[in-house]
Formats: sequence, structure tokens, C-alpha cells
Amino acid sequence: MKSLVLENLSKTYFDPYRGTQFTAIKDVSLQVGEGDFVAVVGPSGCGKSTILNMIAGFVPISGGRILVDGHQVKGPGPDRGVVFQSHALFPWKTVAENVTFGPKMRGVGKAERARIADEYLALAGLSHAAERYPNELSGGMQQRVGVVRALANNPDVLLMDEPFASVDAQTRMTLQEELTRIWEERRPTVVFITHDVSEAVFLANRVVVLSKGHVLAEVAVPLARPRSWTRLVEDDGFKALSNQVLQLVRSA
Amino acid sequence: MIAPLQLLWGYYMRWTVRWPALAAFVPFLPLIALWSLIVSLGVFPRAFLPGPLDVLSKGWALLYKGILTDYLADSLARLAVGAAAGMAIAIPLGVFIGLNRRAYEISWPILLFFQAIGDIAWLPILLVWFGFGLTTMTFVIVYTVLFPVVLNTVLGIRTVKPELRRAAQSLGASRTRILFEVMLPGALPNIITGLRNGLGYGWRALIAAEIIVGTSGIGFLMFDARRAGSVEEIVVGMIVLGVLWYIVDSWLLAPIERATGQRWGLVTT
Ligand SMILES: Nc1ncnc2c1ncn2[C@@H]1O[C@H](COP(=O)(O)OP(=O)(O)OP(=O)(O)O)[C@@H](O)[C@H]1O
Ligand SMILES: [Mg+2]
Repeated sequence: MKSLVLENLSKTYFDPYRGTQFTAIKDVSLQVGEGDFVAVVGPSGCGKSTILNMIAGFVPISGGRILVDGHQVKGPGPDRGVVFQSHALFPWKTVAENVTFGPKMRGVGKAERARIADEYLALAGLSHAAERYPNELSGGMQQRVGVVRALANNPDVLLMDEPFASVDAQTRMTLQEELTRIWEERRPTVVFITHDVSEAVFLANRVVVLSKGHVLAEVAVPLARPRSWTRLVEDDGFKALSNQVLQLVRSA
Repeated sequence: MIAPLQLLWGYYMRWTVRWPALAAFVPFLPLIALWSLIVSLGVFPRAFLPGPLDVLSKGWALLYKGILTDYLADSLARLAVGAAAGMAIAIPLGVFIGLNRRAYEISWPILLFFQAIGDIAWLPILLVWFGFGLTTMTFVIVYTVLFPVVLNTVLGIRTVKPELRRAAQSLGASRTRILFEVMLPGALPNIITGLRNGLGYGWRALIAAEIIVGTSGIGFLMFDARRAGSVEEIVVGMIVLGVLWYIVDSWLLAPIERATGQRWGLVTT
């Protein structure tokens, strides 16, 4: 896993029907070190998805630079794994085939792919569902597959855009704890987008608060690991940090 | 009153699960009974409206002489050749148009225009160009199969979720791999729907073409029987058409649909 640098990033959308312009991102700079976990929060429409889509290479940038491991980003690539809110699993592939899609594209052989599927499905607690199709899974299971599908391809950076926003509160807490466990075990470099302040504080080493297309503040989260909801729910440090970030988001 | 009916329905459901062929046959029993009744009332002369048994014995005779099987084989071969050629052109063309925005903008009006000129509307000019022969018949079938498959393939490709394409790109898939691993499977349910429609229309167009152009085939059999004044033979032809389509659709096309789109949850039943 390698570092990610955003330098004076900006994005202006053109509306071809009205002939107008809209600057969604103005001059955002950010450094995410190797093995770091950064969460980006902010009110709806502040440009969180826009930043992530630019890093992923899905939308072209208007100004500035994006560097992954020192190389400038040009379009989507396997060095940046993406976890989508709408899981985006391939409906015609089994869970195991979804998880090993990246390795298959790299030309990894069948036997090795089977090993990768075993390893990552075990990591997600989904070994029993390997041969099922995505539409036969619950929403929480689909998101787990989405996460390990991205991880199994060994990206330099893992990009996640509100991956747990569409599951119920209980499942969301379980998924957050599992993601923390996986991160603590493997230390991937992660950029995690969310509008849920406690989710950001629970997961990240650092929370970036975005406001109208620029960085309002960065808040370090020095909470001890391993983290679990049972411990943090009553933790004063967690509460104080969550409050601090919440105030920032509301002022944004 | 309700209870015995429900009981009967329960039996029916159980038996049809055990012998699915029953489910295809039993619904026709009341129709056949009605037919017999009308014939036995003698409203129409027998030569105009033969009864089920007359038709059955005529069908048996035709089968016995080998005419029915020969003609059936001719019709099916024509449909198969025409449909295969139609698909071979339509699927790649549909994929290309579906992937390429400019090709889509340019070709869509043309596709709609030519789709509207129904298959048999081409027959007069085809007869002028190619005469009464196989070329004319093949053209009509290819033409008929082509448009539903192209239009549905375009639709299928264009409605593949953009996140799926993005996910594949982020997992390192090349453009070719994305085509085969994402776009084609994503469009498959639509392609199959197009095929189902195309074959249905193609089958009808073939019969029409055989009636006008044919020297063999089921359509020819029916039209020839008219000349000989054998209503039984005409009815045999009509029944064969229905049965054959039922077999192709429910034993070939529907299972493919179930094994793909429905299995993947892309279409809801
Ligand atoms: N394709 C686009 N064309 C024009 N404007 C866009 C486009 N995508 C986003 N925008 C605008 O850019 C701004 C930022 O959008 P973005 O989707 O990044 O917000 P977000 O922070 O992810 O919001 P949410 O929390 O609701 O997901 C919004 O004002 C939005 O209307
Ligand atoms: Mg968003």
C-alpha cells in the first residue's frame, strides 16, 4: 500500500444545457500516508463524491494534481480500489468470482484465484456464500463482498464512498467493526467518505471536514486500537472528538 | 361449490408438477370440446369446418406419407439459417451502436424507420429483385429477426449500470475484458428478449413468405391445401404452427431466460 497526495485539486462542472459552470471543488490539498486511514466528512453537496471520483479517475480533474505512489493519476486503474455505495457487484458472477475479478484481469491462474477467494471470503466471514449470486445475499453481505473484492486486488489506495450508508443501523455497526479489524490487520491506505460523523471518528486516524468544496479543518483521532463499539460508545475521548467534528460539520 | 373446485385445482397443480406436459395440453381440452360441439351441431358444412377427429386423421395421413415431416424440416431449416444469420449481424451491430454514442445518434432513426417497414411489406420489391426463391425468403427472415435483436441489444448495452463499468475499470479490466465480462452479460437478458421476439416475428414472416413464394414448407402446405380444397390440411398446418412455437418458446427460450436474467436477479418474474 502506497501514499496518496492531492495538490491544489479543483473541479468545475459545465452544464451544457444551461451553458453555466459550477465549481464543486476549489483548491483542496491533502496527504494520506502509506497505511493511513482518512475519513472525509461534510454536508450533502460539499463535494465529497466529486473528490473521490477524481481520485478514482472516473471524472477528469479541472486543476491541480493527484499522485498515487508518486505517479500522476490518469483515468481509473487497479492501483486504486473502489468500494461503491451501491455495492456494484457483478450480478452474473458468483461471490467468489466477484472477489477474484481483479486477480483474473491480471492473469492470475485458477488455483491461485481459488486460494485468494478462500482467504478474502474468510476475512469477510463469507466462506459459506462463495457460490451464491449477489442477489441471493443480504445488503450487509453484499457490502462485505464489495470491500474484499477491492482488497483482494491489492490496491495502493482503497477508496470508499459511503459504503455502509444503505444498510440498517445494527448491520452498519457490525460492518464498521469488521472494517476496523481488517484495517488493523492489514493496514491498507484508505480514504473513506461519509456523512456520518461517529462513523468517521470510529474508523479513521484523521477526519477531514469539507465545506463547499474546500477543506475546513483536519481533526486527528488518537483513539487507541483495536477499536470496538462496546468500548467506544461510553468513551469520553470518542464523545469529545465526535462533538468537535459535529460542530465543524454544522458550521460548514 | 367453492370447495370441490379448490380441491380439483389442487389435484391439477399436483399432477402438472409431476407431468409438466399436462400443463401444456389440458388448457386446450375445453377449446377442443367447444370445437367438437360446434361441428356436431352442424351449423357449417363439414367441408368448411372439419371436426377434431377429421383433422387428426388428416394429420396422421400427412405424417405417414412423410410430407408433413419434410415440409416441417424445410420450414425449420429456413428459420434456423435466417435466424442465425440475423443474430450474427444483429448482436455485434447492436453492441457497437450501444457502446458508441455517435453511432447511436446517427443510426437510431434509421433503425426505427426500417423496423417500421414490416417484414412482408418487403415481399413485393423482393419478388421483383430476387424472384420466387430462397433468397427472397431468407432475406425476409433475416430482416425480421435483425431489428428486434439490434434494438434490444442496444438497449441492453446502454442500460448496464455505469458503476459496474467503473468497478471493472478500477479492478484493472481492459476495454476488451469489460466488453466480455461486463457489457455483454449485462445486456444478455435484453438480447434474449430480442431473440425471443425476433424468432416469433421471423416464424410468422416465414409462413407468410412460404405462402407467397414457397415450393415447400408449412406455409406452402396450407396454401396448396386451399387450392385442393382440403380444409383439414389447412387446419393441420395451423395447429403445427402453434405447437411448434410453443415448443421453441417454452422448451428453449424460456429456460435460457430463467438461467440468466432471472437467476442473477436482473429481471423480476
Ligand atoms: N456531474 C455533475 N455535473 C454537474 N454538477 C455536479 C455533478 N456532480 C456533482 N455536481 C455538483 O457538485 C457538488 C458536489 O457534489 P458531490 O456529489 O461531490 O457531493 P457530496 O458531498 O458527495 O454529496 P452527498 O453527501 O449528497 O453525496 C454538488 O453541488 C453537485 O450538484
Ligand atoms: Mg456523495
